[in-house]
Amino acid sequence: MNLTELLDSTASRWPQKPALIEESAIVSYAELVEKVAAWTAQLESFRLAPGCRVGLCYPNSINYVALTFALWRINAVVVPVPTECTQEELFTIAETLHLEAMLSQRPLAESTSLQSDCFFTLLAPARKPDNHGLNLAFVRFTSGTTSARKGVVLCHETVRDRVLAANKALRIGPEDTVMWCLPMSHHFLITIVLYLSQGATIVLARHVLARAFLETVNRWRGTVLYATPFQYSMLARDNSGTNLPSVRLAVSTTCALPQDVAEDFLKRFGFPLVQALGVIELGLVSLNFDDPLRRWNSVGRPLADHHLRIIAPDEEGCGEVVISGPGMFDAYAAPWLPREKVLRDGWFHTGDIGRVDEEGFLFLVGRKTAVINLAGRKVFPEEIESVLNRHPSVRESRVYGRVHAHLGEVVEADVVLNDPRADLDSIRELCRSSLAPYKIPSRLHVVSGLPRTAATGKIRRAAAVA
Amino acid sequence: MVQPPEIEAELLAFLRREVFAPQVALTSETDLIAAGFDSLSLVRMLVFVETTYGLWIPESEITGTTLRNVRSLAALVSRLLHER
Repeated sequence: MNLTELLDSTASRWPQKPALIEESAIVSYAELVEKVAAWTAQLESFRLAPGCRVGLCYPNSINYVALTFALWRINAVVVPVPTECTQEELFTIAETLHLEAMLSQRPLAESTSLQSDCFFTLLAPARKPDNHGLNLAFVRFTSGTTSARKGVVLCHETVRDRVLAANKALRIGPEDTVMWCLPMSHHFLITIVLYLSQGATIVLARHVLARAFLETVNRWRGTVLYATPFQYSMLARDNSGTNLPSVRLAVSTTCALPQDVAEDFLKRFGFPLVQALGVIELGLVSLNFDDPLRRWNSVGRPLADHHLRIIAPDEEGCGEVVISGPGMFDAYAAPWLPREKVLRDGWFHTGDIGRVDEEGFLFLVGRKTAVINLAGRKVFPEEIESVLNRHPSVRESRVYGRVHAHLGEVVEADVVLNDPRADLDSIRELCRSSLAPYKIPSRLHVVSGLPRTAATGKIRRAAAVA
Repeated sequence: MVQPPEIEAELLAFLRREVFAPQVALTSETDLIAAGFDSLSLVRMLVFVETTYGLWIPESEITGTTLRNVRSLAALVSRLLHER
């Protein structure tokens, strides 16, 4: 099975229906398939072997979608590389996942121009990747600890299964127009692929100013919004008086919805935000369709085909959330670790701490891991610490999220210096050259020592600092 | 009290250093959104203003007028600092 079949099938049913809208450009399903074919012909000239892994470092656009499907058409494995990555991060991803080529908006060294803003670069991985005989479609790079597994691997069939499972809840259909304002390099499968498989229209809408976004929604009669709590908070505080009469569903995702945003949005637009829980390894797990008014802070009940348990609950019923269901990831990429070796008795341990109420609604209360969530962008402390620790003046460091009323968390760091006169600006400069901008600590605190666990002497991590 | 020209210079330096690519020759009059300022840029600019001036710009203040360019943004920060 190949995911391009989903697009082809929609295009044969509704060839003239708009698939993607970007500013004044409207691309029908038939035209999208033609665009995919044109990119495919260009990519075929490079004679990449089936199963080769290709990085895609490209901004949100109609081309991003067409390039992804063209890569699938030549049986390549798509590895999204966020455009905000520094050169150093880009090459780390390429090296870790053994990428054989990169498609990017700007040329890297020795790139071939496919179009004025699209470049193909052949890379020479140290060794060819082993896909273990699987029909891979997608690898999402995740930067965890140096010892952690990097890259979540998904087969074509897996993506199809999670798309079908998710749509039992989302019920996206050809009458829907989805307003798209999240980065495609972070969100693509149970969103863009799902919408295109169901014949919906996707409007690529920039979401910087609330009023301009609201006008775009109304111009195209958007029915579905999919955005972060911060983006909804901007809409909720808009005072233009513009309503959203065509919207039937507004999903809030990527981080917890603050109460004031939930309340202000409801008051401003007259319908509630619906929280969803997505997990990279699992896809969409739950959606609060059933009671977003009274249980605004719940991520809902698990989807129809998913099962959820709380293990080792404390006296308040809170414990780790474990989940099983269709479309679970196939493996971790580096080092390769198949799903069967990760699941415990068929369950995936999410690391999230939550409780389930008497009617089956899941409430998340925290997490076991130290990952920081800045307005929906995941930041791994170990990755930033490894950069800080490279600076000659830094003896050691600890990176953590500080709870922030508007953004969830912001990234901050404690650093222990070798030399008290060390130049903090040069530490910041090192961060800027090595890390995507959103990962750079907003504050560096100089401290004399770091808290350690008594038993192992490891640096003590807090989930988040208030 | 910090004056608007100082705020403008600091915002300009921050945006040049951390938000815009070097090929964008950012000045105080550059149209920010046309130059590629996006939702994530906004988040980072808000965090910068908060850590530098101890001020959270309320979402309702972020409009086409205040976010037009660095100068209008500096005027907004200055006004909010005065109103405190």
